Amino acid sequence: MRKLITSLMAGSLMATAAIAVATPSVEEVKADIEEFQAYFAKRFPSVALEDYQDGVNVLPQYADRRANWEMQLDFPPSEEWVDMGLEEWDTPLSNGKSFDSCFADSPAGNNYPFVDGDGKLHTIAGDINSCIVANGGEKEKYAGQKMARLTIAYKSRANGEPLMVDYSSKEMRDWYEKGREFFWAKRGQLNLSCADCHVHSAGNSVRGDVLSAALGHSTGFPVYRTKWGANNGKKPLGTIQRRYKGCNSNIRAAAFKPGKAEYTGLEVYEAIMSTGVPLSVPGQRQ
Amino acid sequence: MKRRSFLKGSIATSTLTIAASAGLLHPTSVLADYPTAAFDADDAAAAVSDIMGSSDASDSGDIVLKAPVQAENGAVVPVKVSTSVPAEAIAIVVEGNPKPLVLAATLGAGANGVLSGRIKMGKTSNVVAYAKTAGGVIKASQEVKVTVGGCGG
Amino acid sequence: MTTKIKLKKKSNGYDVLVLAKHPMETGNRKDKKTGKIIPAHYITSMKFAVNGNDTVEASLSQGVSTNPLIGTSLSDLKAGDVVSVSWVDNQDGGESAEATVK
Repeated sequence: MRKLITSLMAGSLMATAAIAVATPSVEEVKADIEEFQAYFAKRFPSVALEDYQDGVNVLPQYADRRANWEMQLDFPPSEEWVDMGLEEWDTPLSNGKSFDSCFADSPAGNNYPFVDGDGKLHTIAGDINSCIVANGGEKEKYAGQKMARLTIAYKSRANGEPLMVDYSSKEMRDWYEKGREFFWAKRGQLNLSCADCHVHSAGNSVRGDVLSAALGHSTGFPVYRTKWGANNGKKPLGTIQRRYKGCNSNIRAAAFKPGKAEYTGLEVYEAIMSTGVPLSVPGQRQ
Repeated sequence: MKRRSFLKGSIATSTLTIAASAGLLHPTSVLADYPTAAFDADDAAAAVSDIMGSSDASDSGDIVLKAPVQAENGAVVPVKVSTSVPAEAIAIVVEGNPKPLVLAATLGAGANGVLSGRIKMGKTSNVVAYAKTAGGVIKASQEVKVTVGGCGG
Repeated sequence: MTTKIKLKKKSNGYDVLVLAKHPMETGNRKDKKTGKIIPAHYITSMKFAVNGNDTVEASLSQGVSTNPLIGTSLSDLKAGDVVSVSWVDNQDGGESAEATVK
C-alpha cells in the first residue's frame, strides 16, 4: 500500500529512475486528496477550501501584501488580455470553423484534464492546438501568450465551479501517479521537490517572497503576474506549464518542455489534489 | 522603440471627432493648468506647498489613505485616498522618491473626495496623502515597504 | 479602444475608474539594444466631465505606473448621464473614452 503520509512526514521521495509502479485505485486517489487537503486545513486553519482559489493572497503570512491584490481587482490589469483572448477565441480558424465547434462536446473547464473513450489524455492547451491544426492552422506555442489567452477564454466560462477531474479511468490514474512522483521527487542543484516549498514550507518566506500552497494552484492558472506585466512587459500571462518551467529554472533544476509528459503528469496531479476548489481564472498574482 | 502616435489611426476617428467638437480635447488649456514645478520638485515640502498652497498640514481622521503595508512590486503600488469632508484638491506624495509628488487632482462640482491610482515607488518610504479642505490642508500617511525598486532605472 | 472607463455604483455615488494604455516612460531608462535613453513619455493631465461639464482634473507624472489606472468618485449622477475622460501626454498624444450611467 502506498503511504503518502510517510512521504509527507519524511519530506519527499528521492529522485529515482523510472520504475514501473502499480496504478493507484480510485480509493487510493480519494484518500490522497483527503490527506492532502486535511494537511492544509491543519496548517492554515483560517483558510477554507474554496479560499485557495486566490492562492498565496489568502495565506495569513501574506496579510501585509494582500491589499495589493484586493486593490488590483478593482480594475484588473489582466482585463485587456482577457478581452483579447475572447476575441481570438471567436475569430474563425483557417477553414472558417470556430473554437466553439471543436469544443462543442468537450467537458467544461473545471473538468479538465480528462481522458477520452480511447484512453487519450486531454488538456485545454492540447485541445486548443488540436483544434487549430485540424482546421488548417499552425499550432501555438504550448506555454505562450496566445495559448494563455485562449485557455483563459475557455476555462473562465467555468469560473466559480469546483475543480473536478474524473479519475475513474486507469489511464487518468496512471497520469496521476506520474505527476505524484514528479511532485514529491527532489531535483536540481538545490535538491528541492515541489512539496518542499509548496507543502512543507507553504506560507514561509524565501528571499522575500511568500511560498504559495500547492492546494489551489490549478484553479488560478492561467495567471496574470504583475512581475511579467509591469513596465510594459510583453508576456504578462502564464499557463501553469509556463510556471512549472520557470520554477524549475529558479531552483536550478533542468526545466522540461511544456506539453510533454513530465509537466502534463504534474498538471494532472495538481488538478486532482485541488478537487473541490472553485476556478478563478485568470488569477491576479505578484 | 517606435513612438506610438495616439492621435493618428489607433483610435476610432468618430470618437475623436465627437470628443474634439465637444471640447473635450484641448491640450493647450489642459497643459496650462499642469503643476510642472510641483512635479519637478525634489523636496516633498516644496511640492506640497506648490500644489496645496501650503505645506502646513495636520493629521486628520477625515482623510484615509489605503495602501498595502508591503508592496508586491515597486513599479505598481495601488493607493487610494478618500476624504469624509468636502475637498477641493488631493495630492499623493512618496517621500522617498526622487520626485516626491506623483499624483494629484482638483475636484470640481459633483466630485467626492476620492483619488486612487497605481504609483511607482523606488524604495520603502512613507506615502502621504494631502487634501485641501475648507479648514486647511489635512493629511494621512503610511509607510509602504518595497523590496524591489519600481522606478525602472 | 486603449482607454477604458468603468462606473461602479456605490452608496455615495459612482466610482469612476479609468485604465489607459500608456508606457509612462520616466526618461530614466536606457534602451537595452541602443544604449540610448528612452525619452520621457507620460500622461500629464486627465480630465473628467459629466455631460460635457468638467469636474475632476487629475495631474499625473512619471511616478504613475505604466498603463495608469486612475480612480475618482462622482455623486449626483442619474441614468443617461455621460461620464467622459480625456487625457493628454507630454508628447501631444491624447485619447478619450466615455460611459453612460445606466
